[in-house]
Amino acid sequence: MYLQYDYQMTICYSLPVEKCFYTIKCIPKTTMRQKPTETEIQMSPLSNWSYGEDGWKNKTIYGSIQKEHDMFDFRIHGKVEIQPIKYEEEADWDQIGMYRYPFGKCCPGEGLRQYFAVIDLKDCVSVLEKSMRIMHVLHQHFSYVSHQTEVSTSAEEAWHMGMGVCQDYAHIFIVLLRLAGIPARYVCGLLVGEGASHAWVEAFCEGRWIGLDPTNDCCISDSHIKLGDGRDASECAINRGIIIGGGSQQQNVRVVVKQII
Amino acid sequence: MRELIRHTDHVNELLARYGVKFGIYKNNVFKEQLFPFDAIPRVIEHEEFERLERGLKQRVKALNLFLKDIYSKKQIVKDGVIPEEFIFISSGYLAECEGVMPPGEIYSHISGIDLVKGKNEEWYILEDNLRVPSGASYPMIARELCRRCSPETFKNTRLEDNRNYAQLLRKGLPYRKEQLERVKELSEMEEMNYYEIVMNVENIL
Repeated sequence: MYLQYDYQMTICYSLPVEKCFYTIKCIPKTTMRQKPTETEIQMSPLSNWSYGEDGWKNKTIYGSIQKEHDMFDFRIHGKVEIQPIKYEEEADWDQIGMYRYPFGKCCPGEGLRQYFAVIDLKDCVSVLEKSMRIMHVLHQHFSYVSHQTEVSTSAEEAWHMGMGVCQDYAHIFIVLLRLAGIPARYVCGLLVGEGASHAWVEAFCEGRWIGLDPTNDCCISDSHIKLGDGRDASECAINRGIIIGGGSQQQNVRVVVKQII
Repeated sequence: MRELIRHTDHVNELLARYGVKFGIYKNNVFKEQLFPFDAIPRVIEHEEFERLERGLKQRVKALNLFLKDIYSKKQIVKDGVIPEEFIFISSGYLAECEGVMPPGEIYSHISGIDLVKGKNEEWYILEDNLRVPSGASYPMIARELCRRCSPETFKNTRLEDNRNYAQLLRKGLPYRKEQLERVKELSEMEEMNYYEIVMNVENIL
């Protein structure tokens, strides 16, 4: 099955930017589950960029704009062939270790430790069952509310607020999975019907990274496109960079993902 | 030699005038400090130093191989020599460097191995500073000032010359120009050990 995607990000600056350096991680990752084709990238103003892979094998665009500008426009579109599976196999044991431990926004505090202690996992036989149980329980106790949390909100902070967006669901879920001894990683991606980027989690169960979407309380389906992954949101953030000048900035993101018949 | 010892205070004054200071953060407050200077801090004889040097070279090689392993196959974890949490919880572990192979497989270009000599005459290692350690410029300038105060000492005593340090460093850094310009910019921003960094960079370039 094929999905067609179109991601567009526009940043407007209130004052001109002298120069900027950017890192964009927005090209769908090539995995056994998905294969991107016909990828096209447009950027304005035109700038020199190079292309590589980061430490988590996410496809990364590095570049800089060396002349004055007051807006930055980035667009990527293409197709992704999706296999009807919910997992990626992992043969390299050394790629698992870093996902077992607290990191960045995914460090448990008192609140999440106490919460984890009351989740009943006794009758769960497999690692996947445990992971699903944790996801169901979390989904009941956390509400989806926009504009309450920020990009910088940690799992523990979001948990205390009791509400947040997909990033917060994913961060909290990762903390709980790791407390249960299950390696877990953050996934940044796109989803059919979402106007912005989406986030979910992969739990390492019996040799496979299984995609679990805690915001929607389900396994990932053939409507999910994975862009990148990491130990928390910061490691696969779509856009990061440094600007010199620029005043305040406003970022608009528009995403369209459609199934191609 | 007596001449040199007699000039200790003078060298201390000169060090202050040249701004030979080191910066430390104590309770989140940045403080710059002068070095207390000792004209003859410790005499290490040639034979003893040769033995030390062999060991240090071996150690630096081992540390570089360790870093290479950590950022690639992690055989040392697989073999159970080091528990994996030692690596993944450490703030020094940079997942960004996974799979990155620096030129010549050298991860630590300058290694600051802190040595102390115990009362039992044995040498001990306090710690291995591998993240661009500072400190090399201080004995260089101190030696230069000593040489100026008492040229006789350096003429009549057989001392290991340290004036080729920058040349040796230059040999060890294959892509130095771009990297060093960057290092200088960073040091200006961070205010850390400014003297040390600018001195070294300028000598190497």
